[in-house]
Amino acid sequence: MKLLRHTALLLWKDVRLEMRRRESLLTMFFFGTLLLFVFHFSFDLAPDRMVETTPALLWLAFLFTGTLGLAQLFEAERGNHCLDALLLSPMDRGALFLAKTGFNVVLMTLVEIVVIPLFWILFNLRSWDLIPLLFLIVFLGTVGFCVLGTILSAVTLKARARELLLPLVLFPLMIPVILATIRLMENVLRFGVIGDAAPWLRLLIGFDVIFITVGVLIFDRVIDV
Amino acid sequence: MGPWGFVFLAYGIVWTVILLYLLNLKRRIRRAEVELVRLRSAEDLERDAKA
Amino acid sequence: MEPGKQRKGYLGGLALIAILTGLYWGLVQAPPDAYQGEVQRIMYLHIPSILTAYLSFFLVFVGSCLYLWKREKRDDNLAYAAAEIGVLFTALTIAEGSIWGKPTWGVWWTWDARLTLTAVLLLIFVGYLMLRSLLEEENRAATSGAVLGIIGFLDIPLIHMSVYWWRTLHQPPSILRPDKAPWENIHPAMLIALTINFVAFMLLYFYLLSLRFRLGELHDEIKTRRMSGGR
Repeated sequence: MKLLRHTALLLWKDVRLEMRRRESLLTMFFFGTLLLFVFHFSFDLAPDRMVETTPALLWLAFLFTGTLGLAQLFEAERGNHCLDALLLSPMDRGALFLAKTGFNVVLMTLVEIVVIPLFWILFNLRSWDLIPLLFLIVFLGTVGFCVLGTILSAVTLKARARELLLPLVLFPLMIPVILATIRLMENVLRFGVIGDAAPWLRLLIGFDVIFITVGVLIFDRVIDV
Repeated sequence: MGPWGFVFLAYGIVWTVILLYLLNLKRRIRRAEVELVRLRSAEDLERDAKA
Repeated sequence: MEPGKQRKGYLGGLALIAILTGLYWGLVQAPPDAYQGEVQRIMYLHIPSILTAYLSFFLVFVGSCLYLWKREKRDDNLAYAAAEIGVLFTALTIAEGSIWGKPTWGVWWTWDARLTLTAVLLLIFVGYLMLRSLLEEENRAATSGAVLGIIGFLDIPLIHMSVYWWRTLHQPPSILRPDKAPWENIHPAMLIALTINFVAFMLLYFYLLSLRFRLGELHDEIKTRRMSGGR
């Protein structure tokens, strides 16, 4: 349907632009990796406590890396009144929202694909077989982050001290996602399955669905002014 | 600090803060009203000058 | 005096009477709690405070929705006013909870569900106010505030659920919660004290809200006059 087609178009545009300069992607990669090193030096990570600390550290890394991506989300549209041109076109604004969210998800996912195995290597973890399931959980959390992040990135576009304001406003709202993903990942690392952490999974999926819907409906107003 | 100490601490803080906020609000309203009077009279002067 | 001011004056006077009555009932008439002693009297502040904070948040949500729908400045005004007063009552709730917690649990702070949730509520409110103050253009500030108000409100139940699950699954339920008053066994004088204080807080809240709302209207008029000609 039209919404999806427009979304795909816009998303592909952003991906192509990114492939050319790779600015966002490289800074996010580097930052994520750097954080892993900082964690190694800052925390005394006993191997028996890795189950508790791994999800938290990974999420810290992804949150900060993702925030970097969000800050640059509308960079491409800034010059030459590109944003105005986009808004003037007869495209549903919801498509712009989905495309930008999708773009950030793509960026973060690429970073996560590298950072998670890197984490396993640097911290000598053995549970390589759990990575696919963990990755799924992280992906759902990433979607939640990007959905709210995109809305708020657009909302704070013209604000002063934007780089500080965006995380300040975003992080409290992310609490359900953070709690859910960390609890789920802990359960997987401990037992190998999601098991009785399933309610958290429902909460996470619910969060994603609710705010994707809200985003599509409301983005019209957000980027209007 | 005895139990009543905590009670008075809580009650004291709450009502003091609320009172301070109320006073602050009233001051801001007063300042805005003064400014508005000034703007209104400036506008009247302009209009009379044009007439 | 204009009728609006007079009405507000009545509301304020009424609130004051209710507050004083509530103070009397809460501190004198109501008996001390069987387990917690006198400290439990903080409940007469704490429960009305948190309810007022939640009411405020709801009003922010209503104002935000109406503004996005109709674009009337009045609705945005309501949201902004409710947010500012909401911050006040949320912060007070946290302070009360902390002070109540010290003699009851022995610590000034604990990451139990209620306190954590109230702290998160405060963060969201503060974020709202910061967002509005850092956006320069009037309409953009109003729209952005409205979006945040709606998202924040929708997120609250999710945050509520996640924090509660987190806390109840990982902590033994042996901690005595100050606000878990057993409603069946509550002494009638306590119930009266609570009700009076609740009414007092409501009256006070709407009094403050009406004042803050008026301030918003004044600011709007100042801005329009400044833009249309006056210096």
